[in-house]
Amino acid sequence: MEILVCVKQVPDDSVKVVLNGSGQPAIDKIAPVANAFDTYALEMAARFKEANGGTITAVSIGPDEFKTSLKNCLAVGADKAYVVTDASYDGSDSLATAYVLSKAVAKIEELEGVKFDIIFCGKETTDSTTALVGPELAEKLGVGVVTCVTELALNGDKIDAKQETEEGYNTIEVAMPAVLTINKPHYDPRYPTMKSKMAARRKQIPTLTSADLGTDASLVGAANSAVKTISLSEPTKKQAGIKINEKTFEETFAKAMAVMTEAKIF
Amino acid sequence: MGYILSDETKDLLADVKKFCDNEVKEQCKAYDVSGEWPKEIYDKAVEMGLSTLEVPKEYGGIGLDRISCAALYEEMAKADAGFFTTMTSSNLALKPVLIAGTEEQKKWACDVLLKGGYASFCLTEPMAGSDAANSKTTAVRDGDEYVINGRKCFITNAPVADFFIVTAMTDKTKGVKGMTAFLVSKDTKGLSTTNHENKMGIRTSTTSDVVFEDMRVPVSSRLGEEGTGFITAMKTLDLSRTFVGVGAVGIMQRAIDEAVAYSKTRITFGKPIGKFEAIQFMIADMEIKCETARQMCVHAIDLMDNGLPFSKESAIAKCYAGDNAVQVALDAIQILGGYGYSREYPVEKLLRDAKIFQIYEGTNQVQRMVISKNVIGKF
Ligand SMILES: Cc1cc2nc3c(=O)[nH]c(=O)nc-3n(C[C@H](O)[C@H](O)[C@H](O)COP(=O)(O)OP(=O)(O)OC[C@H]3O[C@@H](n4cnc5c(N)ncnc54)[C@H](O)[C@@H]3O)c2cc1C
Repeated sequence: MEILVCVKQVPDDSVKVVLNGSGQPAIDKIAPVANAFDTYALEMAARFKEANGGTITAVSIGPDEFKTSLKNCLAVGADKAYVVTDASYDGSDSLATAYVLSKAVAKIEELEGVKFDIIFCGKETTDSTTALVGPELAEKLGVGVVTCVTELALNGDKIDAKQETEEGYNTIEVAMPAVLTINKPHYDPRYPTMKSKMAARRKQIPTLTSADLGTDASLVGAANSAVKTISLSEPTKKQAGIKINEKTFEETFAKAMAVMTEAKIF
Repeated sequence: MGYILSDETKDLLADVKKFCDNEVKEQCKAYDVSGEWPKEIYDKAVEMGLSTLEVPKEYGGIGLDRISCAALYEEMAKADAGFFTTMTSSNLALKPVLIAGTEEQKKWACDVLLKGGYASFCLTEPMAGSDAANSKTTAVRDGDEYVINGRKCFITNAPVADFFIVTAMTDKTKGVKGMTAFLVSKDTKGLSTTNHENKMGIRTSTTSDVVFEDMRVPVSSRLGEEGTGFITAMKTLDLSRTFVGVGAVGIMQRAIDEAVAYSKTRITFGKPIGKFEAIQFMIADMEIKCETARQMCVHAIDLMDNGLPFSKESAIAKCYAGDNAVQVALDAIQILGGYGYSREYPVEKLLRDAKIFQIYEGTNQVQRMVISKNVIGKF
């Protein structure tokens, strides 16, 4: 089983982001981490590999610093990693990113002499939260996609993916190759071992550029992106909540119902 | 802070910190109350390789240098000193094997730990604590075997250990020169653990008696020659004391972190208490104690790394860090006022945990004996 996991490095999402003087997110002091949903994707891929065999490659589009996250990926299940770096990709929207990723898929397949069976993406990134790149990548590659997957199982030459929806779950059968976007499963990603971390630090992560990928310059970068950011604003501050913590669960529940009834929520 | 670390160690430290923050720090509160040994936390920590930091590279370990080990151990102690004790005690038991063992013994012991096992170092007895040479445990040679009888007490990790380092008298007439060390597997007939200690602190670490009743071990389980057991044990403690100091530094750092955070939020007389010089100076004094203790550990490690004598410095590091950890924990309680005394807040536990650092691996009186002997010499 050949598996690709797409990983983006984002500012640590446990830190609140504010806008700086020029209206841009002040993220320079926030530690970079692998996007949480991508870490779920990698963990799911690692478990899938452990059950079914195969190789996991991680890929990231971004500056050289993204190798930090890729090294962490190499310590928790990825066998290989590539970073795709090119100044012309800066400011790409999700569609342009998906286009670059599709070219990266082709290039890595060529370099490694393999065909990917499953491409894992996080459901969304915790910085821009568009949730678009996965489905758009599937479109570019001309393969099926299942979004918001929380479990998967191999079913002959197909995959059964459990998709989380607003109402519950769908089980979807999809032919390989396929793109899956991953939601938070019921388990947490593993911790790297001291040994795997030290080994990962020593692994080489090749860099691919636009020249390697052969991307069309008119389809990438801020200027060629369909989505333009006009301005950014901080989310409105939440009002302070009230804490209801009565002696028993029943009393707490009754109090919560009373408060909500009075506030005419029902 | 304190240590000058390589990028690689900083990376490992970030992982250990994340693990401790997510899996140890808060979780240990409940285990501190129940006194239960948190197996599920330890399973994860062992899987991560936190119990085998000191296994040498040639025996399958990661070959981490001492300063890196110290930094990672401090982080563990910051989260929970019982957790630190459990993780370091297997390495304590490995030391005599590395000091006096055969290739085969070293390989075997390292393998056991790397496979997720635990180990115990069994020196203390009911009548032989500070006076370790007064051991009543005997090992009598019988053909290709020794028959060991006796009781060890206060043994860390004993109920979960896969192997035990046991000191016993092979020749009582020779005093300390009649003591021999053995490497004993847990499956050995005649070995049992009993009398689980209900402790004041480090309650996530398990401590009990180990009893030997006509326990037969092959001659091949002997560590080094007959009569070298006491020297091996002393060499072990010389090396490990610095790392006990590191644990005490971890407690101090936690106490400072908690006190500083609290001093910024607690308002009295219209100001956060951290704005009062009386509190600021207490925090400064806590920091002086913590950082000087840390530097003493670093110094002892430097000497070890350079092949220089370090016995005195290791004793100073342990003694100084242990004594100061108790004081710094007390100071943190003082800064939190009534809340510091409450079990709802994390600092009273730090005091209970800190106290053991004045007792185990040689009481601080014993450390002073080691230090003064080094300073005064024979006369
Ligand atoms: C939680 C815990 C874990 C432990 N883990 C281990 C372990 O894994 N392996 C192991 O072998 N041991 C272990 N120990 C034992 C520990 O090392 C001993 O308790 C310690 O060495 C002191 O021995 P003792 O308790 O017999 O005290 P004693 O030796 O009886 O000392 C009593 C008091 O007298 C003082 N004293 C004794 N002699 C002198 C002297 N000559 N001059 C001045 N003062 C003196 C001591 O400092 C102490 O204050 C552990 C103990 C505890 C509590």
